[in-house]
Amino acid sequence: MTQPIANCPNCGAKIVFQWSSSVQTVCTYCKSILVRTDVDLKKVGQVADLPPDSSPIQLNTEGIYRNKAFVVAGRILYEYEQGGWNEWHIVMNDGASAWLSDAQDEYAISFAVPNQTLPAANQIQVGQQCTWNNQTFTVTVITEAHYKGVEGELPFQYWDKTDVTFVDLRSQTGKFATLDYSDEQPALYLGEFVEFDDLKLKNLRRFEGWS
Amino acid sequence: MSAGTPPLPNPPAKPQVKSLHCPQCGAAITLRSFQQAVTVVCDSCHSVLDAKDPTLKILQQFQAVTSELPPMIPLGTRGKLRGTDYEVIGFQRRSIESDGVRYDWHEYLLFNPYKGFRYLSEYQGHWNDITVCKDLPILQTGIVPSANYLGEIYRHFQTADATTGYVIGEFPWQVRVGERATVTDYVRPPRVLSCEQGSSETTWSVGEYTYPQEIWKAFNLSGQPPEPVGVFENQPAPATVSLKQAWLAFLLLTAFLLGLMAFNDMVASKDPVFSANYQLAPGAPKGEASFVTDVFELKGRTSNVEIKTAANVSNSWIYLNYALINQDTGKAWDFGREVSYYSGRDSDGSWTEGSRSDTVIVPSVPPGHYYLRIEPEADARHPQISYSVLIRRDVPVFKFYGYALLALFLPVLYVTFKSISFERARWSESDHPILQTESD
Amino acid sequence: MFSPLYLLYGFFVLGCVGMAEYRGWSMDAMNEVKNVPRSIRDNPGAYRGIYSSYHHYTGGK
Repeated sequence: MTQPIANCPNCGAKIVFQWSSSVQTVCTYCKSILVRTDVDLKKVGQVADLPPDSSPIQLNTEGIYRNKAFVVAGRILYEYEQGGWNEWHIVMNDGASAWLSDAQDEYAISFAVPNQTLPAANQIQVGQQCTWNNQTFTVTVITEAHYKGVEGELPFQYWDKTDVTFVDLRSQTGKFATLDYSDEQPALYLGEFVEFDDLKLKNLRRFEGWS
Repeated sequence: MSAGTPPLPNPPAKPQVKSLHCPQCGAAITLRSFQQAVTVVCDSCHSVLDAKDPTLKILQQFQAVTSELPPMIPLGTRGKLRGTDYEVIGFQRRSIESDGVRYDWHEYLLFNPYKGFRYLSEYQGHWNDITVCKDLPILQTGIVPSANYLGEIYRHFQTADATTGYVIGEFPWQVRVGERATVTDYVRPPRVLSCEQGSSETTWSVGEYTYPQEIWKAFNLSGQPPEPVGVFENQPAPATVSLKQAWLAFLLLTAFLLGLMAFNDMVASKDPVFSANYQLAPGAPKGEASFVTDVFELKGRTSNVEIKTAANVSNSWIYLNYALINQDTGKAWDFGREVSYYSGRDSDGSWTEGSRSDTVIVPSVPPGHYYLRIEPEADARHPQISYSVLIRRDVPVFKFYGYALLALFLPVLYVTFKSISFERARWSESDHPILQTESD
Repeated sequence: MFSPLYLLYGFFVLGCVGMAEYRGWSMDAMNEVKNVPRSIRDNPGAYRGIYSSYHHYTGGK
């Protein structure tokens, strides 16, 4: 988690460092002063650490979206220059596939929407507006990202480690859209932001030290 | 899943840890840190550890980098905000430059694995509790640009370029020293809407002003929080008063005052009880100048007596020594009044000074039989002066209503002035100084 | 409603004004004199008003 855990080299007890790059702590049992030797001190003060994978969702987590139950079947972990996010492949109880996107604990559920007019990757800009299904969206983020890893069941087989463009859009009413340029044909996903509590998730991952 | 897909990356490697102990006697040691230096002393043999020890060097280098700007809420602290526990996992210092002056503020990243992230920002003792917006605000242009978020209008406060100067701990994206963003703030106290435009991303967040005591209480911090300096952009006005209601109350009270005045004017008897005309012969008085009037009756409750003196003076004066004497009780009120009037012409035109009449109110005179004793005086070389004396019983004193109005007005004036100067202080730091006042 | 303290204060001010008008108070400069004898009506020149009490013992033993 964010507070790195290790074992005391003297007595073996569990020790915790206060924060991600903290180099010093004291063993509560044997009182030895302990120093971390693997922190890159050149980065301290200059570059932030990335939180380790901290999503509370895991495979087989269950939840409810718009009165339909779903289960988490698979996961894609994306990475980009400045961080990463999760795309959880969820299966609704009527068999439909959807994506639960999980980025710094901001959640959105979206469904693939085929046969729409989509701008080309080199034509899109932050702040630009697009309209689909009578909703106007504004481009908020353009990211170059690649797969960092996958898990579980996914609706497609193809994957590639090269960088691919993803474009995020938001509307003024909490609606969310993504353009995925990983294939030759760009794909559009439309959906909305959801609150963690509204999903009524069960079977979440347990975090040490958090209830 | 097709073959060749990589497994999920391993969980982060366990930290490598060494322990520090005294090389002489192996006993426990004490760390002392002072500013940028760390020294290590052995508790048993009191030897000071060699600073060249590589493990100790790590501590010293770390201290050198982190001691300059310790965050007010140490990283790793847990606190409860809005009913949820959060842990402080990151800290950065950012600054903007305005007119050649650098202004620093600090941001703390708070984390809860189930609730996500929050930010706390701190500037000169002012704190804000910030979350990322899910809905996009609608921008509106105008004399002062504004933004509409969730139905509320926020006024543009400032646009500036922010640079990160220092960062420790974790952030959801990899913050680096030197990273720039254009930050635009819109305010609607106690909230602030912030738009951050980075190279590839635009993020909106909404913050709520939080008092330092709440932060200290939430995170169980020791000591006193630093006193906030000046007025911050979204700092709520001191919660004493709503200006609208203050003025409404004032108008209500003034209406009552006017009503009382009208009533007073109606019921006061203003009864003329004595009137006479006199002549003051020119030159020095021959014989006794003083005289007494006929006796008159003052009726009704104990109330006032108005004595009006009028004289046809021109560039001269007459002074009357009065005594209002109760014939039966021997009690008297003794006073003197001057009537003077001057006029002339000079380079600016004609002027006048003084008045040809004077009015005096004798207070709380009980009913009974009274007379006036009058002793007139005038300039030795005065011409003949005609003067008259008119006495009225129970008149309204309008002066009191004037004072009352002032007494009612002063608190409202004070409160209005304080509010205006508070808002001036708020907007003085913005891109639009002075012009604005807060509307309710 | 706006600070009940201000309204209380306001009605107190009104009360004071009402009392002042009813009792006939004044702000003009006055000296009160006691025991003015009846003989002043016949001899106004003998009036000595500037002292707050009229009859002082001014003689010797």
